[in-house]
Amino acid sequence: MATPFPISNPPLVCWNCHERTIGTHFCPGCGKVLQVPDHSDYFFMLGFPRRLWLDMGMLEQKFLGLSWKLHPDNFVNATPEEREISLKRSSELNDAYRTLRDPVSRVEYLLAIEGTRKEGQTKQQAPPELLEEVFALNESLDELREAKAAGSDVGSLRQRLTTSEQSFEEKLKAVDGELQLAARKWDQTLDTGADEDAKKRVMGQLNDLLNRRSYIRNLVVNVQKELL
Amino acid sequence: MGRIVGIDLGTTNSLVAYVDAQTGQPRCIPGPSGSTLCPSVVSIDPDGGIIVGEPARRRLLTQPERSIYSVKRLMGRGPADVQSELRLFPFRIDPSSNHVIRVKLGDKLFTPPEISSFILRELKNWAEAFFSESIDRAVITVPAYFNDAQRQATKDAGKLAGLEVVRLVNEPTAAALAYGLHEKQRGKVAVYDLGGGTFDISILKLISTGEGDIYQVLSTNGDTHLGGDDIDNLLQAFVHEQILQTDQIDFSPHGEIAQELRKELIAIKHKLSEANSATLLFPLPNGKTFLHEFTRGAFEALIRPVVDRTMGPVKQALADAQLKPTEVDEVVLVGGTTRTPLIRRTVQEFFDHKPHTELNPDEVVALGAAVQANILDHGVKNMLLLDVTPLSLGIETYGGAVAKIIPRNSTIPASAQELYTTGVDNQTGIDIHVLQGERELAKDCRSLARFTLRIPAAPAGLPRVEVKFLIDANGILQVGAKDIRTGEQHIIEVQPSYGLNDADIERMLEESIEYAEQDFAERQVIEARTEAESILGATAKAQSNPNAGVLSSPERAKIEMSIAALQEAVKGNDYKLIRQKIDELNRATEHLAELLMNSAVQSALEGKKLAEV
Repeated sequence: MATPFPISNPPLVCWNCHERTIGTHFCPGCGKVLQVPDHSDYFFMLGFPRRLWLDMGMLEQKFLGLSWKLHPDNFVNATPEEREISLKRSSELNDAYRTLRDPVSRVEYLLAIEGTRKEGQTKQQAPPELLEEVFALNESLDELREAKAAGSDVGSLRQRLTTSEQSFEEKLKAVDGELQLAARKWDQTLDTGADEDAKKRVMGQLNDLLNRRSYIRNLVVNVQKELL
Repeated sequence: MGRIVGIDLGTTNSLVAYVDAQTGQPRCIPGPSGSTLCPSVVSIDPDGGIIVGEPARRRLLTQPERSIYSVKRLMGRGPADVQSELRLFPFRIDPSSNHVIRVKLGDKLFTPPEISSFILRELKNWAEAFFSESIDRAVITVPAYFNDAQRQATKDAGKLAGLEVVRLVNEPTAAALAYGLHEKQRGKVAVYDLGGGTFDISILKLISTGEGDIYQVLSTNGDTHLGGDDIDNLLQAFVHEQILQTDQIDFSPHGEIAQELRKELIAIKHKLSEANSATLLFPLPNGKTFLHEFTRGAFEALIRPVVDRTMGPVKQALADAQLKPTEVDEVVLVGGTTRTPLIRRTVQEFFDHKPHTELNPDEVVALGAAVQANILDHGVKNMLLLDVTPLSLGIETYGGAVAKIIPRNSTIPASAQELYTTGVDNQTGIDIHVLQGERELAKDCRSLARFTLRIPAAPAGLPRVEVKFLIDANGILQVGAKDIRTGEQHIIEVQPSYGLNDADIERMLEESIEYAEQDFAERQVIEARTEAESILGATAKAQSNPNAGVLSSPERAKIEMSIAALQEAVKGNDYKLIRQKIDELNRATEHLAELLMNSAVQSALEGKKLAEV
């Protein structure tokens, strides 16, 4: 997604009473469930500002509270049109909760709706300072695969790989830590009313960290698969 | 709109239930015989009449080639999927089956949804007789681990039976509803559901809030290919092997003898849940009797692999819910097979918690379905059910890999979007292959459907079509597509990989009108005739047994007369007369039965002694 969404809550024209409204889920005029807007905003849906630190308890509470109202079970005897709309809205709600619950997908989503998510040019691009280690790791992986295919002893190779894997898992933890710090910085830009440039800088950092994390995680997963 | 009933369409037994308005408690509806259980067995008469339930079960012995059981095992699956089961299940899959299985019953072919629809229609009749009103809406339960095709097949079966399937509910969730209502539990609950053919484990969180009770499924896992039937098959294979060794008789799983043996072994299995041993006395075609004493210990050793197979999904479900076994507050056992002591012990040891068994494990799912039906019917505002999809939804990408777009255990309804464009100038179709499963490669996942997006010709890379994948509250996939540039909705042609398309169903609905619904008296006649066939067959066999020679002439004459009288009665339509003649024949053959029993035991014991020499 390249362009950011203009406003969080564009006014909707209620499909039922045709009133122009800025209600979130239900039309304040006629009470019917509102159609889903063209661009979803998960933060707005659950009633949160676009902050990266969220109170999990409150998030769950909001989710459950809205579920009571939006669940398809409430619309079984309604018109097909209403059923269709409630189905879309309740799935958006669930998608929103699923996305915002996980810290990493939360960051990804924020960048996506702010229009600043850029995945690594090639996801296979190793961060420069890791090049040497990654090279060594890939060598070990290849050796292990060859040894397995040839049926020869893999004991010491496995050992080497396990050590590598552990090292990369440490790096993964480190990235998650950095992600958390950058996330806090983002929230601060909101609190201090920082300018657009400052915000863009933080988002740039978040973006790079996400790419780095994605790369390392893929490495770890590949190694774990080989070691199974 | 009419009332909604709850239906458990089980592998072995099916039930229909409702919520009593006075008491607010769910109750199962009994059939004409007084039992709430309708065996999921269907038999087709030579004249096309359809027989369902207990009478059909008896026909498994007398006319196995016209009858079928455990059809749930075939729902939503292709012929290749069930090949391994054919060794042990007498399914007669017709060679004309391609993506939908066709089963031969007599000289007619039926699809699994059609056969299931006969069972559903039977239950519909029970409910209509009970309420004296037309019933055409139902909540039907499915194993939580059923994939999209299996769910769609169940919905199709409902439609063919003249029922609007208002909701498909997952069986463990339904059980949790029934228990939640009954026991007022709160906290983390594990539902271990082992039925005739499927296994489900669901982990739920039950919360009481100011608004009401929330049943939130945290994770679910299972095996749609594992159940009591597998225990029966193990027993059968064991005995089959023994008989092969001792008597050199090898009978095929498709014959009457195999069905007789299966019936006896099921009785043995049930007995071993109560007693420490059970003896099998099985008359062989060569006149001898096979005798084997099953001890509970030996039985448990034999069925251990089945029980062990359930623990893999259990551990995975707990891992997905991020819980340790001891963090589960309550454990619930569902499904007839959980009456087995070994299973109860294994579950109790694993969770370190005594499982709940207060509600009848055969009825609890139907009761839960009724609770859900009631919620939907009356818009009950104080119960909220949040269920999940059991399998990750993915799309095939380049190189045969799968990109997961909706992860397993996502709360449903759930959706995901993908943006598509063309790679070639003037390309007018984009093919999408949707799959379910956890593996990395498309070939290892379950093919769900193939869609083709039809788009107007344009230069490569210009079209932008957003495809929305939505898993609805039934756990079934819906797809919508929108052209981003024009805002138009797109036409999607769906080819289900393992199911009926709309044209198939329309045609079947028309055909189903031919199968006239039997009214009460007609069914009584059919049931009486079936029982008559059964006893006439048994009597003929008994008479040909060498030990029958001991009978006196007057006795033999009496038996002949009773046989003739019964055969005459069967030709007519007076079911009361048929039953009377059945009783008379039973009395006439009492002595004969006794003789055979005694000599069977004796010869079996003698045989054993000889072997020990």
